[in-house]
Amino acid sequence: MSSKVSVSPTSLIDQIVVPGDVVLDLSNMTNQTIKLGSGLRQDSDAISAMRAGKFSYSKPNKYWVESSHKRYIPRTEDHVLGIVVDYKADNFWVDIKGPQIALLPGLAFEGATRRSIPKFEACTLLYLRVVKTNIGMNPELSGTDASGKASVFGPLKDGFMFETSTGLSRMLLSSPTCPVLEALGKKLSFEIATGLNGRVWVNAAAPRSVIIVANAIMNSETLSATQQRIMVEKLLAKISD
Amino acid sequence: MEYVNPEGLRLDGRRFNEMRQIVAEVGVVSRADGSAVFEMGNTKVIAAVYGPREIQNKSQQKNGHALVMCEYSMAHFSTGDRRRQKNDRRSTELSLVIRQTMEACILTEVLPHSQIDIFLQVLQADGGTRSACINAATLALADAGIPMRDLAVSCSAGYLNSTPLLDLNYVEDSAGGADVTVGILPKLDKVTLLQMDAKLPMETFETVFALASEGCKAIAERVREVLQENTKQLEYRRAA
Amino acid sequence: MEGRLANMWRLTVNESKFVETALQSELRVDGRGLYDYRKLTIKFGKEYGSSEVQLGHTHVMGFVTAQLVQPYKDRPNEGSLSIFTEFSPMADPSFEPGRPGESAVELGRIIDRGLRESRAVDTESLCVLAGKKVWSVRIDLHILDNGGNLVDAANIAALAALMTFRRPDCTVGGESNQEVIIHSLEEREPVPLIIHHLPIAFTFGFFNKGNIVVMDPTYIEEEVMCGRMTVTVNANGDICAIQKPGEEGVNQSVILHCLRLASSRAAATTKIIREEVEAYNREKSLQKVKRHPTLAKPEVSGPIVVVKEGHKMSEDEAIAAEISREYVERLNLSSVELKSSKEQEAVAASPGNFKGGPSNWDPYTEAMDVDSLKASLASRGVSVTKSTIKKKANDSGNVQKEVTGDLEMKDTAETTKHKSGEMTLKDAVKPKKKRKNKSS
Repeated sequence: MSSKVSVSPTSLIDQIVVPGDVVLDLSNMTNQTIKLGSGLRQDSDAISAMRAGKFSYSKPNKYWVESSHKRYIPRTEDHVLGIVVDYKADNFWVDIKGPQIALLPGLAFEGATRRSIPKFEACTLLYLRVVKTNIGMNPELSGTDASGKASVFGPLKDGFMFETSTGLSRMLLSSPTCPVLEALGKKLSFEIATGLNGRVWVNAAAPRSVIIVANAIMNSETLSATQQRIMVEKLLAKISD
Repeated sequence: MEYVNPEGLRLDGRRFNEMRQIVAEVGVVSRADGSAVFEMGNTKVIAAVYGPREIQNKSQQKNGHALVMCEYSMAHFSTGDRRRQKNDRRSTELSLVIRQTMEACILTEVLPHSQIDIFLQVLQADGGTRSACINAATLALADAGIPMRDLAVSCSAGYLNSTPLLDLNYVEDSAGGADVTVGILPKLDKVTLLQMDAKLPMETFETVFALASEGCKAIAERVREVLQENTKQLEYRRAA
Repeated sequence: MEGRLANMWRLTVNESKFVETALQSELRVDGRGLYDYRKLTIKFGKEYGSSEVQLGHTHVMGFVTAQLVQPYKDRPNEGSLSIFTEFSPMADPSFEPGRPGESAVELGRIIDRGLRESRAVDTESLCVLAGKKVWSVRIDLHILDNGGNLVDAANIAALAALMTFRRPDCTVGGESNQEVIIHSLEEREPVPLIIHHLPIAFTFGFFNKGNIVVMDPTYIEEEVMCGRMTVTVNANGDICAIQKPGEEGVNQSVILHCLRLASSRAAATTKIIREEVEAYNREKSLQKVKRHPTLAKPEVSGPIVVVKEGHKMSEDEAIAAEISREYVERLNLSSVELKSSKEQEAVAASPGNFKGGPSNWDPYTEAMDVDSLKASLASRGVSVTKSTIKKKANDSGNVQKEVTGDLEMKDTAETTKHKSGEMTLKDAVKPKKKRKNKSS
């Protein structure tokens, strides 16, 4: 998905685009290699948007459309929260909010052998990594990192899981730490696991903290940084009464 | 209209807290795994239970629990004027309510991956059909040997002429007064089913509710007797 | 099979466990207390008897309609009330299109019992002709979004819709004195239903073997809870219906506790509903008053459209012209002043205008004239062109205004056909100017 082009990127950067908008014209961008991210499509010389969102650019040559959805399109190396649906033919069927059920081989865990496949009952929550996303096949997941170590992956015990949008989960993972988490972190101690598929898991010693964190995160979707801080303060004040 | 005369007798000669005669028998359908007939005065219900057996529709399977299905129907000849044949909303609701009541007393968790079907047919309707159905279903389930935590029993009570009345018949039921149906698990002393309509002040409701609960306990006694009798008979037969 | 599995919404073990543990320390996932209600918003539609209720994320629409039907044989002098529910597949992934499922039927029955068996709506006043014609009121409840506790939201939607519903007035008359005449909304003020009391449903969820009670459960809590009970009460402390459809048994004391909670809550909810309905009624009556000044506006566009249609008509035009001529002449009879106030006259002649009739009603009367004018235009093209020129001289400003002026002019031109052409033009200009002043 690259072509030779020139001329500086268009003024559409950081603008809101809707499906069908032509965002880049390759005919006047020669001698340039560009990389297209999600939400963009090449149609001969024109690059057009497939999704509504903010057209973004990062140096040197990456373009994508920033958007937020409730559904998730799997991409390799994404970290996701999946729910076990079933176990069939050595594979766990895992729901990751994607277009297809994802498969998790029973052997894709650290130290798993034919004899010691971990047992997860249906509706178990797992923190996983997307390994393969071939078109026409169910996506494949893994419970280990690239080097075969369990590291952070595996089943999540206790805590509370809630569903948000992909945009919000990306915001939570962004660095520097997003204001809502920063504000919460000053007052409360909690564990959080964010899947890029819009699922967030929170755990803390007291159920009260879990509820505050979960609601604060859900509320922060449409708020600016300052608003987020105020919202968190209000929420904490309300609960402490 | 006067539903309770000055002497305190009802239209059919009962007192306010008197129930109609109960006749119950188990094992009346030979092909079914469990069955029972339950009569309460002129109300007569037959129940048949099949199962536990393999789940027919896999997609309905529930995790770690047996699947309970219930089908309630009213025979065309059960009421005075012939009923229009239709899968009406009342039957759908009653099937749901009876199923959930029976689920409360069946130990569904000891029979995962299996299905229990309860079929109920009202042969004669003279008020209190849903109570009779629950009582019949309990007997049939016990007859089928399905593990239960308690015997779910049910009884109704109403309020007419400012008197709480136990076990309404059809005439009393259609008089437009309140009608409270209670289903309890007698040994656990818990209320599983409670349905009520028409307007009643809070305090009156409490007395009617208490009366219906008393009725349930009386029925529970009767149901026990029937089951004990039946079990004894089986013992004799084995011994002989 | 795979599709079913994939599209089913499921709760993780973590969630269900957390909901229960949090409840043990009297906390709910959305931060509410055990007996707190979610935010209730009631909105009304443009038409009579439509409501939209939002309870947290739950969204239900209610719509009431009425129809004259033959009464049931056993109740010859009572109207009927029926409830229909629609669980749209858009509201929840588990709702399937097609026939209403068990939960849809049960929801309808709970609301039905609460409203009907407690005689909340006076059905006897719905009788028009005993044994022959009664009003059959139908409540449609559409679930648009399922955020949990559909019963309460649907019940409030039904009440709000019933309270704002107006049925057309009707009288018994005709030759045999057995005919029912329905008066359209324009003719007579429509009649509200008689509602004796408001039965309000409160749903409780039971957790932890019936030891923990929660009011107004969300969809997550509904998935976890082991039992449910809906209590319908009114503000007078009467219990109108109870539905605890089996499931986990609870102690009697818990049930009585729920009943008391519900009746203590009923007054507050009744107040919210009544206030919203009153606000809506006030707005509605204000709208009726406001209609006057805005009348001129639709007229501007109205005739233009009709003119186009007028072109197509040819034979009928002559007849129409005759009729309109007569009509306008009548108005013109006395003096020129009268003519200038013709607009008001025309409005006054059609009392329906003020009664919430469609706004194009008035233009229609006017249109009649215009059509006929057209006919006259066709025959006397010269005079028309003249008039236009004059008008242009008078004010070569707003195009739209000009067009209307044109039409009006034709109007008057028509009326004074028998008199002189010059007169017509003057007259034509006058009212136009007047109107301009009015609108500015």
